[in-house]
Amino acid sequence: MSPGPATALLAAVATAGFLIDRIWALAAMTLILIVVCVRAPVERRFIYISGALFSALGVIVISPLTWSSGGGTLLWEGPTLPVIGPIDLSTDEIQIAVVNGLRLAVVALAFSAYTLRVDHDRLVSAAGFARRSALAIALATRLVPTLERDAAGLSEAVRGRGVELHGARGYATLLSPLVAGSLERATGLAEAMEARGFGRGGATRAPRPPWASVDYVALGAAVVLVGVAARWL
Amino acid sequence: MALASVTELSFAYPGSIPAVRDVSLELEAGEVVALLGPSGSGKSTLLRALAGLVPHFHGGTFSGSVVVAGLDTRTHGPAALAGTVASVFQDPEDQIVMTRVENEVAFGLENLGVPPEQIWPLTRAALAQVGAGHLAERRTVELSGGELQRVCLASALALEPQLLLLDEPTSQLDAEGADAFLSHVARAECAVVLSEQRVDRVLAIADRVIMMEEGRVVLDAPVAEARVWLSTRRPRYGGGLVKVDPSPSVPLGLPVVSLDDVRFAYGSGPEVLGGTSLVVHRGEIVALEGLNGSGKTTLAKIAAGLLQPASGFVSREGRATYLSQDPGRHLVCETALDEVALGVNGDQMRAAAALERFGLSFATCRHPRDLSSGERERLGIAAVSVSEPDLLVLDEPTRGIDPDRKAALSTWLLEQAESGRGILVATHDPLLPAHRRVRLGQPLEVPVAV
Repeated sequence: MSPGPATALLAAVATAGFLIDRIWALAAMTLILIVVCVRAPVERRFIYISGALFSALGVIVISPLTWSSGGGTLLWEGPTLPVIGPIDLSTDEIQIAVVNGLRLAVVALAFSAYTLRVDHDRLVSAAGFARRSALAIALATRLVPTLERDAAGLSEAVRGRGVELHGARGYATLLSPLVAGSLERATGLAEAMEARGFGRGGATRAPRPPWASVDYVALGAAVVLVGVAARWL
Repeated sequence: MALASVTELSFAYPGSIPAVRDVSLELEAGEVVALLGPSGSGKSTLLRALAGLVPHFHGGTFSGSVVVAGLDTRTHGPAALAGTVASVFQDPEDQIVMTRVENEVAFGLENLGVPPEQIWPLTRAALAQVGAGHLAERRTVELSGGELQRVCLASALALEPQLLLLDEPTSQLDAEGADAFLSHVARAECAVVLSEQRVDRVLAIADRVIMMEEGRVVLDAPVAEARVWLSTRRPRYGGGLVKVDPSPSVPLGLPVVSLDDVRFAYGSGPEVLGGTSLVVHRGEIVALEGLNGSGKTTLAKIAAGLLQPASGFVSREGRATYLSQDPGRHLVCETALDEVALGVNGDQMRAAAALERFGLSFATCRHPRDLSSGERERLGIAAVSVSEPDLLVLDEPTRGIDPDRKAALSTWLLEQAESGRGILVATHDPLLPAHRRVRLGQPLEVPVAV
């Protein structure tokens, strides 16, 4: 499938995820997206899939405890905490948490599928306008695994000096050098791009294969999906 | 008429002392020029001036002139010079734009406005020229450093430049990768200026040698004449690196780390180490050798305790520290003093003493990323050695460093061994002193090879 229709379809899936409030439909979309992501190379897909699913699970487990719907059947009543207020759990809260968690999963997995499966180069090339913006988005997307690798390198460098990082606060100390490192990389990349004539005007594009019928189907499916989600789901 | 002429060029980066001072030279079409000199001598700045990146990209104070193929770089920026001039930089990861190899090579051609029907044939020809035709459809993130740097060379050659500028392009490659890369450079049909620290290799393909020190050209001569000059005046650059006696001055001590039948695989990938055993004693330098992918880094990390083997036995006595490849990228604190103090629970007295030992006292309150690459590397070594570990594990410490710094590192390693420290070095460098050389990938242990 060409990257343009594939991106449109994934964007439609993410949009539908926000519009749909039926658990079965959200669960089905989550499963389909997992299947799509699983077809990416094993070493790349793990962080994306696990990140999306654990975030969704966090919403499902934690969010019912942080507010009271006032409806449904009360399943458990806990203590009253400062700032948060009374802690309780009802069927309504669980249902809403599951819907929100699955929505988050759908959006995160749609982004994962875009990152893992779409050919960003062809997407940039296909951009009829705002090619620089499309390239910036593609480079920013590629930054995710680079940052991940840099973070691992920094963590290892610190551990290599016999210093163990503990908890979120320990790892937060790596944030500043991580940002500084990515800025250095960005400067180096900008220099290399300029040396290769980027931005001098009169650019052409390498010919790309024309759209196949599956691309038109995907584009139609994207429109239908958003319409169905808004109207019936 | 010369292809490029540099006339009385001086340049200083913003807020810095001049990086290049009063440099004049001419480059002829088709010649291969080796650009030598210690780190910080102005090689990279000269290359950037020839590409128009200095002053257009970096800013700073520029005087003199640089004219390439009739284009004055004061009035023609790097984008305008692209195609006439092509550059390959030190770290391939910092210059890759696209996610697939063929798109990466095509990127420059698209920018130059090459007719669309010519782009794919030129792309395929450039990849074939550097022996990377089979990589065309691969994702760039899946390539090794050597493959990636060949793709960068193909991207430059695809532009059919008149002048190819290479800034230490093999510094991230192993010996085999560097040889392959330079053999492709030698076949380029354009003038080449090649900045390089692997002096022997670059002299083998060069027609002419330019050597820079402290921003000035101190040698500009044909290669035969340059070899004589280097061997008498800069013996470390002339292939005459003084080999040090690696024999231990003290009897070998007890084992500081023992690995027995160690196996390891990353995730569900293939086994990187399949039953490897190794012992490092106090007072001993052990060099781990082998091709890329043979498991040197993995074994070094297991020895340092950063990785746990899937099976096998590891016994470590005392404290171990580990210096990763490219330590200048892995500095985490706001000042050099804090960086070193991190390894000794914030003890600033010990950290200051370590900085002084490595000639970095001036940098005490400076941000590590404000230091030069050589200073960052020394800071990295100071940071892992300040705690006076029993086992010091270094991963490719000589990669990309100049012959003078390599000699200083060799001396320091011998001093550390003499003080009773066990040292394990993963390296491709046959000239680094070692009491034993262990080659991975083959069941072979080479005794005292230096």
